[in-house]
Amino acid sequence: MSAQVFSVEVEAVPVSDIKGDTSLATPWQVLIFDDPVNLMSFVTMVIRRIFGYSEQKATELMLQVHNKGRAIVWTGDREKAELFVQQLQSYQLLAAMEPVE
Amino acid sequence: MELIRHSDGRWSLARVSELEYLMLSRIQESADPSGCDKALERLYPSPVAPTAQLDHEAALSIEEDWREYTGPEIRDGFSQALEKVALDIASASVEDDEGYEYYGMTLPDAHAESWCSALNQARLVLHHRHELPAEAEEMGVSPVSEEWIVVLQSEIYGMIMEFLIKEVLWDQ
Repeated sequence: MSAQVFSVEVEAVPVSDIKGDTSLATPWQVLIFDDPVNLMSFVTMVIRRIFGYSEQKATELMLQVHNKGRAIVWTGDREKAELFVQQLQSYQLLAAMEPVE
Repeated sequence: MELIRHSDGRWSLARVSELEYLMLSRIQESADPSGCDKALERLYPSPVAPTAQLDHEAALSIEEDWREYTGPEIRDGFSQALEKVALDIASASVEDDEGYEYYGMTLPDAHAESWCSALNQARLVLHHRHELPAEAEEMGVSPVSEEWIVVLQSEIYGMIMEFLIKEVLWDQ
């Protein structure tokens, strides 16, 4: 019986690609940034409506946006984060997402 | 202008003066960000936070996908809201009250969402196009200047939004 030799070619993957893939698996956070034109009541209503938060929590987050310039409103998987950002931007809120460090 | 909440699932804009009606008629054109990069960036911002610890390529890829797939959906939603509101405004009736003509319209609650969207789009674009301060009190210009008229327009839009949020949309 002759021995069979298998060879496997491993393609080098740039570090940047690995980071990209990893960031898909890590949690992402959804942020709302302050916009002085948006009404405070409007921001509160949108947060309540999209995330189903209580009025108190939505108001706290709105005030955090207003006073600190930004607030993390949700953390979870990237796909859902994208959906939330889309919904927030559909209400003209200044929203974006980033991977949790 | 009077804003009235009815108990049958409708709301009214009543006793709308000529000037107020003119301002309402300008919602659609005021919400158009064409030719104003700042307004375009504001209405259609990047989905990637400026603080995101992502390499350039990864961020770019997310933004490209967003522009291709999500951006058009958001734009369509904005356009549909503006069109609905323009039709509502065009359907206003004229009421005569002691020699003065006023406009009025009674609309279903289902239109409130579109009104809020259209009014907010217009406010955002107006503020960026005219580089207005966030608060009208911060303005140091003559009350007859064009800028002042634009602030008045934005204030009226904000007032209608406040009414719709508190009286119509809050518990929906």
